[in-house]
Amino acid sequence: MVVGLSAATLQGAPVVTQDVDLWFENLGELKISRALQEVGAAYVPPSNFNPPMLAGAGAELFDIVLRMDGLKSFAEEIKNCVDVPLGRQKLKVLSLERILASKIAANRAKDKLTIPVLRDALAAMQTLKRRAKKK
Amino acid sequence: MKRRVQPIDAAKASRWAQRLSTRVGKILAAHPDADPDNVRHTLILLEQPPLERLQRSLIRGRATAIFRK
Repeated sequence: MVVGLSAATLQGAPVVTQDVDLWFENLGELKISRALQEVGAAYVPPSNFNPPMLAGAGAELFDIVLRMDGLKSFAEEIKNCVDVPLGRQKLKVLSLERILASKIAANRAKDKLTIPVLRDALAAMQTLKRRAKKK
Repeated sequence: MKRRVQPIDAAKASRWAQRLSTRVGKILAAHPDADPDNVRHTLILLEQPPLERLQRSLIRGRATAIFRK
């Protein structure tokens, strides 16, 4: 599932990000290693100062996330994720409401900067949805 | 790869800006505390496909990171 600010931007929030955070339920899944092989990348398990990482040219933009501040388990959160169309595929993306909840819980300096923007983007989208429903 | 830019005439641009402004106003009426710039940028981004939004965000985010180094 795509999480963090890349997930927010896929849904229309005007934020910038340096990478695409991917939250996996189980990193040991065979599908993940196959997909990584296809793009010339590999999974690197955590070591002393390194978190679990993806290495290789095809994985430069991607980061691994194993837990999200302020959120429930992966299995719970994916139930309410958003399907974003991407070509013929549908991408599982953490909803803007839950991204905002995780940023509020994490409360790092960089999160504090994005909270008002995410809040306003969410307000805009909720208003648009309500108006669309009325029509 | 350079993308082909669709030309837009001034009248069309003006109508688009007017529609955008009206929509921003309606959202601000429902959420008076929201920042008009954030709302406007959100509405503009919603006119783009998701992948385009992500691409823009990554280009700007990575450029900012390089500039900071």
